Amino acid sequence: MRRVAVGFACLFLVSACGGGGGGGGQNAGTPQKGGTATIALESELRTLDPMDSSLLVEREVFYNIYDSLFTIDPSLTIKPGLVKSWDISDPLNYKFTLQSGIKYQDGTAFNGASVKANIDRYKTGATSRRKSDLASVSGVEVTDDTHVVFHLSKPNATLLATLVDRAGMMLSTDAVLKGGQNFSLAPAGAGSGPFEFVEWKRNDHLTLKKNATYWHSGLPYLDGITYRAIPDVNAILSALKTGDVDIARVIGAKDVASVKADSNFVYKDVPAIGFNGFELNAGAPPFNDPAKRKAVAMAIDRYSILKNINFNIGVVAYGPVPPSSWAFDSSEKIYDHADAAKAKSTATGFTFTYKTTSDPVNQQLAQLLQSELAQAGITMQIQTEEFATYVQECASHKFQACNVNWSGRIDPDGNMYAWWHTGGDFNDSLYSNAQVDQWLEDARTNADQAKRKQDYGNAQKQIVEDAPYVFTTFGVSAQISNTKIHNFTLYPDLMIRMAEVWKG
Amino acid sequence: MTTYLLRRLLLMLPVALLVTIGVFMLIHLSPGDPALIILGEDRSPAAIAQVHEQLGLDKPLYVQYFIWLDNIVHGDWGRSVTTHEPVAVAITDRLPATLELGIVALLWSLIVAIPLGTIAAVRRGSLSDQIATGITIAGVSIPNFFIGIVLIFTLSVTLRLFPFGGYVPLTTDPLQSLRHVMLPAIALGTAGAAINMRFTRSSMIEVLNHDYIRTARAKGASWRRVVFVHALKNALIPVVTIVGLQIGGIIEGAVVTETVFTWPGVGRLAVESIFNRDYTVIQGIVLLAAFSYMIANLLVDLVYGWLDPRISYA
Repeated sequence: MRRVAVGFACLFLVSACGGGGGGGGQNAGTPQKGGTATIALESELRTLDPMDSSLLVEREVFYNIYDSLFTIDPSLTIKPGLVKSWDISDPLNYKFTLQSGIKYQDGTAFNGASVKANIDRYKTGATSRRKSDLASVSGVEVTDDTHVVFHLSKPNATLLATLVDRAGMMLSTDAVLKGGQNFSLAPAGAGSGPFEFVEWKRNDHLTLKKNATYWHSGLPYLDGITYRAIPDVNAILSALKTGDVDIARVIGAKDVASVKADSNFVYKDVPAIGFNGFELNAGAPPFNDPAKRKAVAMAIDRYSILKNINFNIGVVAYGPVPPSSWAFDSSEKIYDHADAAKAKSTATGFTFTYKTTSDPVNQQLAQLLQSELAQAGITMQIQTEEFATYVQECASHKFQACNVNWSGRIDPDGNMYAWWHTGGDFNDSLYSNAQVDQWLEDARTNADQAKRKQDYGNAQKQIVEDAPYVFTTFGVSAQISNTKIHNFTLYPDLMIRMAEVWKG
Repeated sequence: MTTYLLRRLLLMLPVALLVTIGVFMLIHLSPGDPALIILGEDRSPAAIAQVHEQLGLDKPLYVQYFIWLDNIVHGDWGRSVTTHEPVAVAITDRLPATLELGIVALLWSLIVAIPLGTIAAVRRGSLSDQIATGITIAGVSIPNFFIGIVLIFTLSVTLRLFPFGGYVPLTTDPLQSLRHVMLPAIALGTAGAAINMRFTRSSMIEVLNHDYIRTARAKGASWRRVVFVHALKNALIPVVTIVGLQIGGIIEGAVVTETVFTWPGVGRLAVESIFNRDYTVIQGIVLLAAFSYMIANLLVDLVYGWLDPRISYA
């Protein structure tokens, strides 16, 4: 559950969380080659192997080392990656045509056999965290060097979106074998992406250099990238100001206005794909009473949270699917502005405990929620816990309310199924509704996007109505950089893609 | 002397063993599951069970401890449960940064403390004594993270005199290395400087009242010679005790400073490992810290003999 570490660090504190913004003209001009850029990461990585990765910051780095089978554009539309074209008319046999002539950074060829080896590794590796991503894939059949067939055990409309991320990242099998037990610490030559691994000194820096034989000709522009892990949003801002880092994705929300006003910096953001809020435990008192969950959902003033905690960066959230998604449904606005009177008429006079971490912004949010709920006659007690303890207690359902955010997934399934399907991996709230389960299953297996949107719309309305989770805000994906950085494209998925970025 | 040394070295083993048992129990009994930290956004009951099995967390606690101990005895410190990095490598990679920071901080504390303490003692009750005392109280009272933040804001962000964070190994570029280490070293060393100054002052006052000082003065030795040759060497014995403890405490003393300055040392590794419940790394660091304390204490005892020939370990 980097859900909070990631979710919060990325979506909430984040400079991100808000619409529109600045930095005009920094895409202008002829791209210049050369130079290196330093990027701040908001926490340290644990691995450089997509197979055992579980942190958002790791994915930020992977997108610059490894290529995926599929990519996305900034509107989240699936685009060709290492797969050139695809035929998914048979829901149980996806046929992919691969790009030809691509080599990994170690000189070995990318081909059908390599795709199969990677998927097999992800599905069977002892430390693989990709098994659930690929659970619907029963096997990969190699037709020839440029054609493969993914055999599915059951239809899965989310598979292409899944293959955009780590489960679709292709690695040189030779490099993996050569790296042995230390591969995840030093994946030399393993990717086919714009940059290749040079050195990783944990807690200090990670260095990548330009892949001179990158298959997108003329790219990348930069000679290299250095990542520095700076696990404090104020420290990240200091490092930007001193010029020790060029690009960051996260600063404190309180600092965004001053950064926007500073001509030495570029600030831009777009709506992200996650959501923020808190879980209510439907499996135990007091929230096994639906009326009490609804009362809390009604009493919360989302606009006050957006203004006072997020400094108006981002938008208020009514459900799990953000405005950046094709499945967004504005009619999920069931509980809008705070309505203490309405909440009182639903349920009142009860007490519950809200678990959160010691992060100052989380604390401020808790205090705001506490005062809003008090107006509706609901007493909220704040329990602050150390991160690992809090994660364990929320995951094992030992809570009444728990502040957990989600970094989001490209496909709406990733924002809903695991959270509210009966027995889902993140269903900490123990929520169960047979109708919601059915909608989510239908949407997962149906290839028709219009039908899927309808299913997600129905499921969202029911989830918001039942309130196992109280949605508060949607964050943004942001770029904060100095003015030397050019041609940076923002993606809603929070990833920093550096292939086309230049410095001048 | 040799017998004494051997005895002291052998005594370290049971102490280290007790420390590791204590820490092992404390860490494992505290709530928090490393599997959930490792799995992050990819957790599922099957994956959690798989990680528990891989890490041996499904075994009884005492079995886990003895497996770890057996490996340590055979020179295997294990691998980090979160990064798979060998623990010995994780620690030794970061040790130079911590040692550099600790040593420069200690030097800073001594450069400030000994002259100020001596002046305060010699001019007891004067304005300079009061100023030195004021500096001491401020140094001890202000937490080093706050000193760090003030230094970053003034000398790094505003005046741009020093870089923010980052570490350059001494062997790569000594000058750059010193530029990077100065701010964290001042932040870390200031509290130590204040304590060392107080010890120097009180010890010096006591020594200056001894008969042999008066005798030295009566024999016509200059005041400067009396203070710096006759008095200071003797006055430094209690200071050496404190400095010894400070050397032993370099590793855990740097925890806060390394975090504030994103300094890639053992202290930051310790913080990260505790948050991640990375048992193997925590155990390794605790073992190292325990040994560094014990060795520092031993060295202090040996230095006593050099400072005061009356102390003998024969």
